This record gives sequence, structure tokens and C-alpha cells, in this order.
Amino acid sequence: MVQKKETGARRKRRPRRCRSKIVLPAVPLKLDRFQEEAIAALLDGYTVLVAAPTGTGKTLIAEKLLEHILAAGKGAVYTSPIKALSNQKYRDFGRLFGPERVGLITGDLSINERAPLLVMTTEIFRNWCFANPGELEHTSHVIFDEMHYLDDPDRGTAWEESIIFAPPHMKILGLSATVPNIQEISSWMAEVRGEVVKVIEERCRAVPLEISWIAPGGDVLDEEEAREEIAERQEIRRWRRHRWNDMMVAGREELDY
Amino acid sequence: MTLAAIFSSPTCVEVIEAIQDHLPALYFAFGRGRTELLAEELGREWDFLTPGEKRSVRWMIQEAEENNPGLFGPRRQNLRRLLLQGIGYHHAGLSPLLKDLVERLYESRLIYVLFCTETFAVGVNFPAASTVFDACRKWDGQEFRPLLNREFFQMAGRAGRRGYDPVGRVFVRIDERFPEQTGFYREGEVEPVRGRLTISPNTVLSLLHWKTDAEIRRLLEKNLSVYQSNKESRQLRQEVHKLEEKAAELARCFCPDRGQPCCELYRVKLRKELNQLKKSKHRNRADSKLRRQEIQILLQKGRKKCRYKVCLDAAKKARRLEERIHLLHKRLKQLEKHSRDYVREFENVWGLLEKLGYVQGRELLPRGKFALYVHVQEILVTELVFSGIILESPPAEAAAILAGVDYQPGRDEQVIPPPFSLERVEELRRFLLQSGVPEYFCVWSPLPAALAAAWYEGASFEQLLGMTNLQEGDVFSILRREIDLLRQIERAAGEERALALLARELRRRLDRDEVAVVGV
Repeated sequence: MVQKKETGARRKRRPRRCRSKIVLPAVPLKLDRFQEEAIAALLDGYTVLVAAPTGTGKTLIAEKLLEHILAAGKGAVYTSPIKALSNQKYRDFGRLFGPERVGLITGDLSINERAPLLVMTTEIFRNWCFANPGELEHTSHVIFDEMHYLDDPDRGTAWEESIIFAPPHMKILGLSATVPNIQEISSWMAEVRGEVVKVIEERCRAVPLEISWIAPGGDVLDEEEAREEIAERQEIRRWRRHRWNDMMVAGREELDY
Repeated sequence: MTLAAIFSSPTCVEVIEAIQDHLPALYFAFGRGRTELLAEELGREWDFLTPGEKRSVRWMIQEAEENNPGLFGPRRQNLRRLLLQGIGYHHAGLSPLLKDLVERLYESRLIYVLFCTETFAVGVNFPAASTVFDACRKWDGQEFRPLLNREFFQMAGRAGRRGYDPVGRVFVRIDERFPEQTGFYREGEVEPVRGRLTISPNTVLSLLHWKTDAEIRRLLEKNLSVYQSNKESRQLRQEVHKLEEKAAELARCFCPDRGQPCCELYRVKLRKELNQLKKSKHRNRADSKLRRQEIQILLQKGRKKCRYKVCLDAAKKARRLEERIHLLHKRLKQLEKHSRDYVREFENVWGLLEKLGYVQGRELLPRGKFALYVHVQEILVTELVFSGIILESPPAEAAAILAGVDYQPGRDEQVIPPPFSLERVEELRRFLLQSGVPEYFCVWSPLPAALAAAWYEGASFEQLLGMTNLQEGDVFSILRREIDLLRQIERAAGEERALALLARELRRRLDRDEVAVVGV
């Protein structure tokens, strides 16, 4: 019987659907102020740190910079914190700039390593900075994506060694989520690299977030309601625990008889 | 509130019911098993796709399977069924091909609810209408701890598609069993980034070999962590200075009679002492009695006529200042010690490498020159090579041994044992530990051995999965990591033809079929 219930043609629930078609604008036509500023600073030859929330278009800054570098016949390195992301960027950049202009180097894999635009993990870039900085002679920029991973206990070391030992002729574009001490990081970089570091910050989200909580039973609550709900839940648990203890005590007394 | 509501957590079925106007959703869960469980639960009740969409999904699955027969294997048939309902899961246990298919379906808007782990939120650009948090605690490798603000917003921020959603909706589930673990996060309270540099044997060797003394000093004395503690030290010293000035100012309130029996300040202190002595359980001891008499005599002397209230206030303030200054000094000492840690750590590792015969002063010896090209468990790998274990073992066993380098098995992970002994490696590790090499510089596990050996000898991926309860993604990454290590060994071998050839041959045999990188 159970079998039938499992496999039988039980009707499943379907969601309400809004009829409107989702049309995403292909590429935002106009750059945001912070994007303009970042690109201008990069083209002026500065090392730049961009801190902005996810989804605000940090990648676009990197892409514009890469466009310029490739057009000028120079080279660039793009590093990402995780390998899966390197692979994805390699594909994205191949689509944007032509596969022949993009290479990928991770520990276990290397494709087209003579290409002017190289996607690599931070570890590989760090190794180059130590062992073969000569290879980076014609590379004008290194882009560090998700730079707040400096704080990661496993990955942080490779980042710091890279920032400190990247050849002095190379300029850095660091992309980071908003962190409260981005100015501190930039002054550290300025000191350790001996160059001016510009910080471009965007605190505003392209799409604002609205946080809600979902209670048992499925009610959607705002913060105040959620706090009330949690207090109530805790009360219930406490009560149940007492009941349980009472029952245990009662049970033991019965046993004693 | 109904009884059922009191005794049940919001199931993901209820959650999705509540947020069904805000799909697609990324549903973050902490733990792979949890993502699968939730997907299964939702799949029993919900089907999100129209017949037309189902056709598209079927078509994309078919196409992927034609290119990679056995894509879903017997273990992932549930995922195929769920995908046809617009539900997916995504975690590191999946094979890269399957992850790629799930990602493409998601990008094609054919997945309405995707249960995923934290890695889905790193850098990859997959926005959704909403994000859901199954829990606010995660296992960080050592312990369960609440999510940081930074981690929460890295994931939450995937909500809201630019140009389409007016707001990105973030939903946090309140767990009935652990209501107190529900998180409340503020973007304004995101944690600052701190320096995390650690000194590995490779760092020391690379510095000694390639960098000047000045450059070494730059790393040790100017890294972010030291920079941050220096900055804090400067601020603390400024504060100490300011407080000391204030203390000096307060001192001006006191007259030269301070500390004399006629000074009220002193008398207050004496009275307090007297009270304590009276109450003390030793009050009948001779020395206690003596002291009480002494104090009483002092108090009988007359008090100087002055406005002592000023002095009392100032004394109270001064005491508070002193306490604060004391605390600051303590923190300063901590920071100073911390700043010197990097130099000391560098010297420790350097000393260890010297003792093990990797370097002599700044000069790299053969072991050191080899380890210079190794970036994971440098000492262990070098010793495996220099002890002859790798070259003397049959190639399949060498493959088995290297698979275990840096592997830290999880609690319930099982692989059938290999048909050969790994005692020589265990012996080598024991020897290294006895020689003073810290545990974290020789991390190795026998667990993956049989898998690598079988794969080297031509087993199918399906057969490997039959030997273990590890998930396909784990088996994949064990072998990819070994391929990475073999590349390093080949470079490190240099003119050592036999070793270079062995490394290349092992790599060639491992880098095949499902394990050869795809989806690039």
C-alpha cells in the first residue's frame, strides 16, 4: 500500500506563477559613479581597491580594465580564491575576449599559458612572484577577486605573500566585499608596496535586501516579531523540559513504591 | 497556535509555500546531506515546472548524458527526478559534470529552488529572487559556530536580481528545536578583515632562496597582522599618554600632607581597614589586635581642617585611571609579543629545516631545493621521496601513498583497505614526529590509498565508488589533488630522471576519463 502511495500519481503542488516574462537588461548602459571612478583611477596608473556589496558590478570594472590592457598589447593576471571560480572566469573571459587571448593555470591544469590574460589561483600567482617574476615582466596588472579572503585562515597567507611580493611595476586591482577596515588595508598595501593606493567604496546595494524570518507553521515575520516568536519558543521549551523533569521525578517516586 | 505548529519546525515545504512569490530561491544549508534531504522533502510535495519547461530540462539532461554516459550514476537518480520538478541540489560531493549541469539549468531559469552549500556564494555570479537560510550555524572544521556577519551577507547578497527585483528577499528559518540559534545580522556590523599569515616550510625556503634580507624583513615585520597590531599599539600608547597626563593633573589636587595621619584621604583608608579587621575571622589573632590598636591611635590624632571632598573625588578618579592604564599596558605587552611572533616562527621553522638537513644557513641543500617546488606538506613529501619510499614502491602503491598526503578524513568516511601494506609511510611519519616535526607538517592518511591504486590500475570510476562511501565529488578531488602534487614533484625532481618520469607516468595514468578536467 505504501508502495502505491509513493509511486502513484499523487498530484503535487504547483506554485502561483506571475505571468510576466522575466527580461533582464543585457548590460547596464550607463556605468555607476563608483565604477567610473575606479576605471579612471586604474587608467591613471594607480593601484585600486574597490569595496562594494555583491551584485553591484565589480566584475565590470575588471572587464573594462582588461579590455584596455589587451588593447594596449599588455598582459594581465586574474586571480580567484577558489578553483571552481577560476574555471568559470576562464570561460567568461574566453567568451568576452576570445579564447586565444585567455589562459588558465591552476595547480593541476594549465591551458594556453602564453596568453596575455591569465586566470590563475592566488597560490599560483604567489609562486610566480617568488620563483619566476621574470614571466610577469610584460604583465601590467594583477586582479585579486574577493580580496576579503585575506582573512581566511587557509588562503590568507598566499594573498599576503602575493601582495607583498608582486613585482613593483605591477598595479593591483583588488575587488572586495564591503568591510569596515578597507582604508586600513589600503594603507597597509601603500606602506608595504610603497605606492599610492586609491580606495573606491560603494556601500549601496544595487538591489536592497529585506530580511525576514520564517516561523514554524510558515508565518513570515519581521525582526521584532521574530524576536518575540523566539522568546515564546524558548518559553515553550523550558516548560516542556520542566514537565519532562516533573514526569521523571513522579516516575521515580512511583518506582520507589 | 495549533499543537502541530508548536511541535514542528517550519519544514522546507512550508518555507517554500510562504515564499512562493519570490522564486527562484537559493536555499543555503550547512552540510551536503542536509541539502539532499531538503530537496527530497520538497520534491515529495512540490513540482514547479510547466510541461514546456519539463521538456527543456529533459532535453538538457539528455544532451549532457549523451556527452557523458552514466552522468547521474545509480546514486544520483533522485537528482534527475528532482530536476524535472524544478528542484536541485549543489555541493562539493557532486561530480563537476553534474555541478555544471545543475548550474546551467539554474542559469536557464529551470530550477526554482536550489539547495546549496556556502561555496555557491563565493564569487560565482548566480543571483536569485530570494535566499533562504536553513540555519545560522556552521561547522568550521573545528566546531559549530554562528555565522559571521560577513559570511551571512556573502550568501544573503545573492538575493535580488539587478534590474528585475525591487528588493532581494532574505529569509531566515526559525528552528523550533533551537530557537536561540536564530541569527540577526547587520550589514553595518560586518567584521573587519585581519591578517592571517602563517609561516610554512615553503615560505621559509622561498624567502631564503629568492629574497634578500630586506625583503624577508618586509614580510615578517610588515605583514598585515603586524601592521594591525602596530597600529593598535600606537593608538594604545597615545591613550596611555593622555591618561597619564590626566593623572598628573589630578595629582595637583593633593596637598603635601597626603598620606599623613591628619589627611582625610588616609583616614578613610584606615577606617576601611579597621572595619575589615573587625569583621575578619582572624580578628582574635595577636597581629590583628596590634594593628587595630595602631590604627585607633592614628585616628585619635586630629584631622587637618581642609575641604577634603576634592581630594576624595580626585583619588577615586585617579584609581580608575590607574586601572585603565594597567589594562592598556597589559594589552600593549600582548601586542608586542605578537609582533615578535613572526620572526620567531620564521626562525623556528628555519631551525627545523636546518636540523632536518634542508638548509645550511641560507644555502639550500638537495632536500631544500626539492621542497622549494612542493607547496603542500613539503617536509613529508620530500621525505617520502628522499627515503626512497616513492621510487622503491610499485607505481600503484606510490600512487596510493601520495593520495593520502594532506588528507584529513571525515568521521564516517570509509574505503576498503588496499591489498598492500602502508607501514613504511607510518614508520616514516613516526620518525619525523619524533625528530620534532610538528603534526601539521606531516598530515597524511591511509584512507584514499586503495582508490588511487585502483584508479592507477585502470578501474572505472563506478568501481571506485563501489569501494567507498565517499561521494563522487570527493573521489574526484582526491585524484585532482594528487595530480596537482605530481606536477609539483615532477618540477621538483629536475634532473632526477627516474623520479620525474615516475611522476609524469603516474599523472598520465590518473588524469583520464571522469577525472580528466571537464567543464572548463
